[in-house]
Parts: sequence; C-alpha cells; structure tokens
Amino acid sequence: MTTTMAPSRQRSGAVDRIRSAVAGIDWVLLLAVVAISAFSIFMVGRATVNDAAGPRFYLDRQILFTLTGAVLMLVAMRVNLDRMARWGWGLWGGLLGALAVVYLVGTATRGANSWIDVGPFNLQPSEIGKVMVAIVLAGIAVERLEDVGTARFTLFLTVVAAVPAVVVFLQPDLGTSLVYGAVLAAILFLVGVPWSHFAVAGSIMAIMILAVLWVLPNAGVKVLQDYQVQRLTAFIGAERDSSDAGYQLDQSKTAIGSGGAVGKGPDGATQSSGNFIPEHHTDFIFAVTGEMFGFVGGALLILLYALVLWRGLRTMARASSQVDMLVAGAIVAMIGFQVFVNIGMNVGIMPITGIPLPMMSYGGSHTLTTLIAIGLLLGINQRRSAIRG
Amino acid sequence: MSTGLPPRRGSNRPAGGWAPTLTPKTAVRIAILGGIALGLLGLLLIRLWFLQVINAEQYAERADGNRLRTVITQPPRGNILTRDGVPLVTNTTGENLVARPRELTGERRRQVLAKLAPKIGETLPALMAKVNAGDNQPLQSVVLARNIDPVLYRYLAERRRDFPGISLEETYLRSYPEGQLAAHLLGSTGPITAEQIKDLRRRGYAGDETIGVDGIEQQYESVLRGTPGRSVVEVDAAGEPLSRQYVSSRSPVPGRDVRLSIDSKTQIALEAALAEAARVTGAVGAAGVALNPKTGEVLALGSFPTFSPQTFVTRKEKPVSALFNDPDRPLNDRAIAGVYPAGSTFKAITAAAALRAGIITPDTQLESPSSIVLHKQRFRNFRENSHGVIDLAYAMRVSSDTYFYQVADDLWRAQSEKNDVYPLQAEARLFGLGDETGIDLPGEVPANVPDPPWKKRAYAGPDYTDFQRSWLAGDTIQLSVGQGFLQVTPLQMAVAYGAIANGGTLHTPTVGFEVRDPNGRVVQELSKGRPTRPLGVSPTALESIKQGLYDAANAELGTSTSVFGALPEGVKVAGKTGTAEPGDGGEDHSWFVGYAPFDDPSIVVSIVIERGGTGANAAAPAVCSTMAANLEFDPDLCGDPVASR
Repeated sequence: MTTTMAPSRQRSGAVDRIRSAVAGIDWVLLLAVVAISAFSIFMVGRATVNDAAGPRFYLDRQILFTLTGAVLMLVAMRVNLDRMARWGWGLWGGLLGALAVVYLVGTATRGANSWIDVGPFNLQPSEIGKVMVAIVLAGIAVERLEDVGTARFTLFLTVVAAVPAVVVFLQPDLGTSLVYGAVLAAILFLVGVPWSHFAVAGSIMAIMILAVLWVLPNAGVKVLQDYQVQRLTAFIGAERDSSDAGYQLDQSKTAIGSGGAVGKGPDGATQSSGNFIPEHHTDFIFAVTGEMFGFVGGALLILLYALVLWRGLRTMARASSQVDMLVAGAIVAMIGFQVFVNIGMNVGIMPITGIPLPMMSYGGSHTLTTLIAIGLLLGINQRRSAIRG
Repeated sequence: MSTGLPPRRGSNRPAGGWAPTLTPKTAVRIAILGGIALGLLGLLLIRLWFLQVINAEQYAERADGNRLRTVITQPPRGNILTRDGVPLVTNTTGENLVARPRELTGERRRQVLAKLAPKIGETLPALMAKVNAGDNQPLQSVVLARNIDPVLYRYLAERRRDFPGISLEETYLRSYPEGQLAAHLLGSTGPITAEQIKDLRRRGYAGDETIGVDGIEQQYESVLRGTPGRSVVEVDAAGEPLSRQYVSSRSPVPGRDVRLSIDSKTQIALEAALAEAARVTGAVGAAGVALNPKTGEVLALGSFPTFSPQTFVTRKEKPVSALFNDPDRPLNDRAIAGVYPAGSTFKAITAAAALRAGIITPDTQLESPSSIVLHKQRFRNFRENSHGVIDLAYAMRVSSDTYFYQVADDLWRAQSEKNDVYPLQAEARLFGLGDETGIDLPGEVPANVPDPPWKKRAYAGPDYTDFQRSWLAGDTIQLSVGQGFLQVTPLQMAVAYGAIANGGTLHTPTVGFEVRDPNGRVVQELSKGRPTRPLGVSPTALESIKQGLYDAANAELGTSTSVFGALPEGVKVAGKTGTAEPGDGGEDHSWFVGYAPFDDPSIVVSIVIERGGTGANAAAPAVCSTMAANLEFDPDLCGDPVASR
C-alpha cells in the first residue's frame, strides 16, 4: 500500500461505508415512520397549546424524544439480533432487575409505579421491555425448535413472558402487560405452535378475565383497582356514563364524531382546545386528530400504520435468520396490537387500557421504544438485502 | 412434532449465501397475521366512518353542548293595573339563596349544604340533588331558597365565610300595593311544577322560572313574562369561560303591563259590600260580579272570603297550607267557580221562554194564589202570599211563584223528549247558562242547566229507579223559579242580565283590557273582538221583562223597593232578588242581579251571599252599594232591606 493511495482509499472507504449503510434500507417503511413521527410532533404541539405547562412544553420534548429515537433507531439497525439473542437470559434478568428497581424507587404517578426519574425525564423500563421480551422469546424459541408443538415448549415460553408481564401488571400497568402478551402470542403463532394450544390459552384467558372482572370481586378479592375495572368496562356501557372512564370515552367519541368528514381544523377543534379530551396528547391523541382532520385525517393515519405493518410483514417474510424473522413478527404484532387497541379505545370499541398510539402519542420511553423497534425492522431487512446482494 | 421453521442450524449467523427461513407453513402464518392486521384496521375504518360520516351531526351538537354555556337573566314581570291606573301587582326585589356549583365541589358541597339545610327548612339530600343537577350548567347559580326572610339574610350576610359557594342573589318578587284587593282575579306566581315542565320547555322555558299560577298571572303569562336575557359563553372542560366575550348576547326584555277593565272604586266597593253582607248575615261565602252590559267588560269581581296574595310571595309553609286547608275555601273564586241555584233571579229567563213560546203575552192575566195544585202536587207561593190576578210585570215585581208555576206547566207540556226540545232549558242556554262564559280567567266552571237527558245520566246506575231518572213536570216547575237541579255562577247571571239590559246581546265577559309596553304604549286590546250573540227575544217581550225588573226594584210591593226605591232619577235600578234553596235544607242563598241606570245601563251587578237568607235581605244592599260607587251616588240612598222574595 502506498501513502498516495491513502486519501483516495479513505474517501472511497467513507463512501462505501455510507453506501453500505444505506444499501437495502426499506425506504417505504422509513418514509412512513418519518411521516407519522412528523405528524406526531405537529399533533402533540397543537393538542397542548392551551395546557398549563405552556404551549411548547410538550412539543419541545416530543421533538427531543423523536430525535433521540431517530439516533437509537440508527443504532438498532446495526444490532445483530442472533448474537443478542444468545444473551437472552441476560436481557431477561436485566429487564426484571430494571422493573424491580422501578417498583422499589419508582415515583408514584396516577397510582402507577412505572418510571424512574432520570434528570428532568423519567424512564419506563416496561416500555423498552416490549422489545426485549420479543428478542428473549425469539432466542429461546429458536434454541428449542425441536420442542415446538409440545406443551412444555409453549408453557416455557409463556412463563418467560409472563414473569415480566405480571411485574408490569402489578405496577399497575395493564396495557403494557397486554402488549407483552401480544408479543408472546405472535411468537408462538409464528414458530408453529399447534392451534389446540391457542384454544387452551384462549379459554384460560377468558376464565381469567371472568375471574378478575367478576368472580373474584364478587368473592371479595380485588385484583384490579376500581378505576381499572371502570376503564375496561366503560366502552360496553351506556352512551352517557357519568364515571370518569365513561366521561373520557364520551368526550373522545364526541371529539372524533364532531370532526366529521374533513375535520374542524386545528383552530376550530373545540373539544381539544377546551380541554374536553382527557390525555389529549397521550392516549387520546387520535381523538384530537379525528376532531381536527376528520375522517380523511384519521383514515390517512390508519393507512400509514397499514403501510408500516405491511413493510414489517414483508421484512419478516424475507428475514435472513429465524431469530430475525421472529423478532420482526413480534414487532409487527406489538405495533399492530397497540395501534388497534389505542384507536379502538378512542373510537369506543375497545376498553381503555392506557396503551399509547405508537409513534403518535407523546411520551419518551414509548417513542424511543417504537423507533428502536423500527430500527430493528430496518436492520433485519437490510441484512437480508446485504446477503442477497 | 410440527414446526414452521426448519431445524436449527449450527450458527445463527449464516456464514454465506441465503438461508431460506421462509417455509410454506411460515408463509401461511405470516399471511394470517397480515390478514388479522388488515381486518382490524378495516374495523377501525368502518367505526371511524360510522362516527364521523354517519353520525357526525349528532356528535357535532354534543360538542357544541360541551363548549357553549348559556347564562339566563330573568326579566321583571309586567305590572297588572286597573283600568283607572291603580297598580294591583307590581315588582319588588327580594333575595334568593343560591349556590354556585362550580365553587362548591367535592366534600365541601356536602359540608356546606348540611350546615345550610336546617336553616332553610330543607333536607340535605334535596339540596344535594338541586346542586348536583346544576353541575350541567356551572355558570348558572342554583336557587336553593326563594325570597329568604330578613333574619336569615342577616345571619348569612354576617357569616359569608362559613358558607363558601353560597350567595344571595337579588330576584324580582310580586308585590301587591292594594293588599288583598282583587286577589282572586290576580292569581300568583310560583315555580313550575313537574307536570307543567314538559309542555313549558317546548315554549322556551328553562324550567327554573316562576310562572303565573291562576288568575290574570296565568291567563296573560305570555304577555307578563317578558323575554329572558340569554348570553352564550364559550367554556373549557372545567366550565371556565375561555374569554370575556360572549358568543352571543341578548338583554332581557321586561314583561308588558296588563291593564284590566276593573274599576278600582267599584272593585273596592264590591269587596267591601260582600264582606259587610257576610258580616251581617254570618255567611261563610259570597261572590259578586259587576259588568259593563254594553261591552261585557268586567268592572269588579270579588269572592269572599278572600286572602292575601302576599302569602304566595313569602311562601311560608304554615300560612300557605292554612289557606289550602281552610274549610271556607278562601282560594276558591266563587264568582266564576261557585255554583248556586239561581232562585227567583231565573224568573226573567222563564218569562222570556214563555213569551217566545207564546204561552203568555205581556198582558196575559193569571191568578196568583197562595198555592196551587199541579199534577196532584201542591206548590206554594213564598210565605203563602197571594197576589190576585196579575200580569207578567206584576208577577216579576212581587216575584210570584204560582204565576210562574202555571207558566212552567205549559212549558213542560211544550217540551218533547223525542225531539229533544226543551223550551225552558233552551232559553236558559241562550242566556249563557250551563256553559262557560269564556271569560279570560282560568278555572271557570260551566255549572248546569238540567234537562231530561242530563237527569238520565245523573241518575244512571242501579242505585236509582227509572222513576227517579225520569224528568217530571215538577222538575220544570222547580226550574222555572230557579230551584231544583239548576246551578249557575254569579258571572253567568251577570252576563245574562247584561244581555237584558243592553237590549238583547250576550257578550263574552272580559277582565283584560289592554296590554301596554313599558313605555305606556298600547300594543294589544284584550277586550275587543270577543264573540257576542243575539238573544233573539222580541223587543216587546224584552220591554215587559225590563218593566217587571224595574217595578221589582222601584214600584210598590216590589221585592227590593225597600232597598232601591229611594234612588234618584238617572241611577234607577232594575233587578231581581233571588232566594235559592241550597237543597240541603240549610239557610237559603241570597241573590240579587240588577242593572243601572235603567234608561241607559252602564253596570250590571250580580251578587250571591251564601246562606244569606232572602235576596232583598243580604244581596240587594250589597248590589246597591256597589252601584253607588260606580255611578257615584250616595250609598246612604240605599234603603234598609225588608224581607221579601
């Protein structure tokens, strides 16, 4: 090698690096995610202009979260999931440890002990746990592929997911623990667990729901807090329920419905500006969207999510390893489940479970988590392209 | 064992080449996952369509209901005045005790209301319910007690700090400068009842207003009420106004004044006369009406015993329930809702019927013995007087019963149940009896003119025999002298005699005269355009009846000559006494109906004194002193009564 060649080689090395970094990126997925995130920043800003914290408080933070998330997304793209999955038990232990710390030193907010203060921000380990559980389960499943189909395999994976899920449930954060369940179900489903296991799991779920909501309370054992039960059952109830949960639901539906076909625009959205929509920047940001931009806006947003899910499924089908495939599938399930449950509760067809709308709702931990998950998807797609190419 | 994945390979990282992880089975499962995602997102879109396109309007309304709050300001009610400008009902202000739901939240609401409840004689649950209901309209204060008394006012004013969220709000109250005068006419104002609320909501009431209850207050509610002010404010979820500006604002428009046709002097005199007659005779009740016979306008209308309308402003429980439970029923307006047999005052109508049917002419001479036997039954003259052979005018003058018994017998013969022809009853109905007069006051009763079909209905059922149900000659004979089943109100008799006085036109009586706006401009004439009806009695027949009525009050042996005989020319009275047997064996009701001046009548007065004895005894002097006030002659010219029929 000669020194005269060095600059040129260095330059070409840098170009190559950028080229290789960019090669195989799923631009459609990336564009959809950028679009949703940009819209999120706009909506969080508009929804909170009248808030006591100041017109830019949430907006600035959401911008910061999104930018941080973008950096983490780029990092996640480079993560080797197969290697990471080998450390599955370590991740699992780390997650449980973090959850335990939260439980011990966490700040009580709205009756929930789910975050750790980090300077001005607070971290919710249960959020990043969604992705971690996906990787852990994928790794374990792939390690024990010979056992797929046995009850032992299914039970084992279920327990692995259930331990953190129960801890999260006890925080209490019902919604997030349900997301863990969705991740587990997706991995079991994709790995090929027989239908009969799902039937049994479904029956057990039904019995548990009955027990938690009806049998045990009647027997004097309170599993859920009153407000949780109310939130879960409000969507079945009367149109104008006077309970807090009923009020939330009613106001959310009123906001969305009054938006009409094309919406009232950001300035005419009285339900949002008058503070009628509770949690208008987090759980009920879809209601604000629906009021401001009507059916057109809401449908476009749903189509963007459909795009994300489709690219996720496509990535899964083209994954270069089993771990990649399972993680991709778990991420699609995680995002899809949250989108459906969140929008579903905004429009009054799902219970209020406190699940954020991925990439839209205000919030640091969940924005970071979703963008990391997207980064993993992009990475999986890219690796496969690299192999092919 | 079945698995969607190929067996695990040695290394997770494919060392080289493409590792096919996608088996057909996995592909199917991915497709299923995609299908589920598609289905669920489709479900969301459908739901969104349902909310935003199909039901958008409903939710838009709901959103407006959320953000817009209406603050209502009640206007003062219109005044009620007499025709000559004496205010009978005006407004004053009082203090309502109100709660502001927005400042009285959580546990504090219960604490404050619990302290307050015993002070205003309410129960805690009732107050809680009131304030809780106000949560929907947080800018509108909730009235807890109306027009609180000064003692409570001072107590609360001194302890403002102990009752946060509670305040005193000025309110309009009805005031009665003339005290009890015309109490029955006026009615009162009160809260809207649960039964009324639905109907009133449709007419633009919010439900917490006070409205006219009974009398003129009820009849002319729409005029007196005014238009409430309405300011629409945009608020946020906490009920906090978003800006100081109103979305829309309309000031309250005060109610309009109603001027009655009542003449204050006549009204005062009538009520005084009723009270005096009751005092003299010990009557529990009395009532009277004075009309202008040419127009039907009511000059005075009174009922005894009376009450103080102020009782319904103060709304103290004891006096109010005392009024409602009083056995003498002071709240009952006997002038329009009291029913009595007409007694001999009915003879004018019997005369008209007989003249119309050709049974008699004004000159027909009949013997008037002390008693006569008709249909094997003896009918006696009053006090068994006998008057010899007399004509119609003379029979009216002395109020001969036997004369009219004979006439009635012929009227009975002229009736036909088959053809539904009843000359005497038809005449009574032509004179407006047996039906509401249509006066602009609520609560009027039709009373009753009995006829054979009525008797069949009244005596229907197994408790009565066919004989009891059948209409007998005796029934017509009793009716001819205003006894038996006949029921009339003092107002009906005034209207009937008004028609005689004015030459044969039956007027619909009116109390409301005109509506004036707050500037005094007349905006509506209430007494004009009301239906009238000709009696169709021939002029000669009417003349002879009038002559009889004149003689009864002025000629020798006239039943009320002792009372009216001394009145000077120009205020000569024509009228008929009545002594009505109540049918329960008790003391007779005393009637007098008459008009004056005889030549050009401008007032007709009808008065009944319950159990006042003979007509000349109690009722005639009351009519005389009422007329004295209206026609401005000296009431001392009214003579002392001599008992006669």
